[in-house]
Amino acid sequence: MLKFKGRSVLPGIVKGEALVTRRGFNTYASFFTSIHEQTGKAVCADTGNPELYGKNLANKIICLPGTAGSTSSGAVWQRLAKLKAAPRAMLFSQPIDPLAAGGLIVADIWAGKRIITVDQLGEAFLDAVEEGDLIEILASGLVTVYKNKQ
Amino acid sequence: MRLSTEEQQILAGSRGEMLQRVMTTIVAYGEALEAERLIDITGMGHFVIPHALPGISPSLEMLDALITAGLKTAKPFTLDPVAPLDFKNWWLNRKQIDSLEYMYRTQKQYDKRMQALGLWNPEACTCTPYLPEVGNLPGRGDILAWSESACVVFANSVLGARSNRNGAIIDLLCNIAGKIPLSGFLTDEGRRATWRIEIKTDRLPPPQVLGAAVGKTVMADVPYIIGLDRFLGHGINSRTWDYLHELGTAAASTGAVGLFHVENITPEAIDYRTDLLTGEYKTVTIDDRTLRELTASYPIMWKDKNAASAKCFLGCPHLSLNQLQWWADKIHELLIKHGKKHLTVNTTICSAPQVLRKFIENRRGWEILSESGVRFSTACPMQVFDNNLSIDDAIITNSNKLRVYTHARFFPDNEIAEIMITGRIRRNR
Repeated sequence: MLKFKGRSVLPGIVKGEALVTRRGFNTYASFFTSIHEQTGKAVCADTGNPELYGKNLANKIICLPGTAGSTSSGAVWQRLAKLKAAPRAMLFSQPIDPLAAGGLIVADIWAGKRIITVDQLGEAFLDAVEEGDLIEILASGLVTVYKNKQ
Repeated sequence: MRLSTEEQQILAGSRGEMLQRVMTTIVAYGEALEAERLIDITGMGHFVIPHALPGISPSLEMLDALITAGLKTAKPFTLDPVAPLDFKNWWLNRKQIDSLEYMYRTQKQYDKRMQALGLWNPEACTCTPYLPEVGNLPGRGDILAWSESACVVFANSVLGARSNRNGAIIDLLCNIAGKIPLSGFLTDEGRRATWRIEIKTDRLPPPQVLGAAVGKTVMADVPYIIGLDRFLGHGINSRTWDYLHELGTAAASTGAVGLFHVENITPEAIDYRTDLLTGEYKTVTIDDRTLRELTASYPIMWKDKNAASAKCFLGCPHLSLNQLQWWADKIHELLIKHGKKHLTVNTTICSAPQVLRKFIENRRGWEILSESGVRFSTACPMQVFDNNLSIDDAIITNSNKLRVYTHARFFPDNEIAEIMITGRIRRNR
């Protein structure tokens, strides 16, 4: 069990399974096929991200440094929420970038869908967390990682 | 975050529930970005979403709520290229047309709402709003709340204006309030470079390849690029304008670059030189080998990897008048060289409506390209093909951005020009 303290951007309490990318998460490239489908899944379509490509991001806790790519992604979070295919939480090792902040906050305030968001968890967090780990998030920004093998 | 009295009153609902909600969103945005305060926007807006697509555009219900409350942007705005409803220019089959008609079925309603919210004029739709023919040209130091990654990086780097990489919807909300959190590229500190990139190539690299290399290296950081003035000269002129526009677009889409400085060329690099570098910066060299290896690493996403190319799209980002003329001259030269009258590959070239109109008025270049079989569009190839509709099409492009978001294969200008004429792709690529 490992504990990390970040800053709650959109606070909340949740548990879930980790998916991890150590490169910039391209929101638009990852979700551009999911937002046209109504399967309840969000299969990552970003061919430039071998860590996540082909994996279902819906209801997972995405661990990432920050987001990258097109500014078109602002409305993607709202759409994913409507399709019940949004990730459960987003955990940023770095300070959250404007693109991610804007999209997640708009989904929260205008679509009533909170995707729990914590940033500034540090490089050690991304070094430690692995795909399949169980993660528990508290409203204070405290993140506990239960290793998959434990 | 410290708010002015007026901002606090709006947040408390003094100017209605809807503007209160807008301000609540912007304040939350500012707190997320750890801004100390909001700052007034001084230039026109430019937004990334001109089309009505679920999951991409704001919902009509949300736009109606804003309009019904009597809200619109404080200054007019321009939009990215129009929806791709000019089907004849895109070499589409019936199934693709039917799908696009269905996808964009609420486009007219969306257009009306954009006009009600402050769209500058019905033709103000391009990813090159700052071209003189279009006219949304912010000045140095202007505070903007733009989206469209290609436009943000150009406005910051080449024009010296100040905008963060805002996403869709938050761009509109900030421009309605006329305010944006003071953070990131809006601050002097946020504009300093954390990478020193030295270009050591034998000749001027293709801008979309160099941009991709820069983006892949620095991701969201700010690079200070050295060595391009050997090829481009000092300061900004129409050639460097076009070159840096393409470079920035590729850097923004392969990484998340929102600002770059180029020694002796971009305005802040001319004024402040290496003082723009932070105390602890990283250094990297990009040479011809780096760029060769990068392009060789691009996967071929076509179903049939050995297919002959069926379609070619140029103009992502939209081409300037000079670039259109360059393509006319290039195609003319190659048609003569190969003894041909027409292109082998079905080709569409994209540009702003105002730029295309001037190109047509100039006649010569337009006649060369039209007679060779080129079709023109003011829309954007990404909006046609960044979905599974194009999965069977063997598309080629000179845009690294289009390569990132579609199944298109990328080739630099000179190489793609040969393919357009002959239809042949060198096997050793």
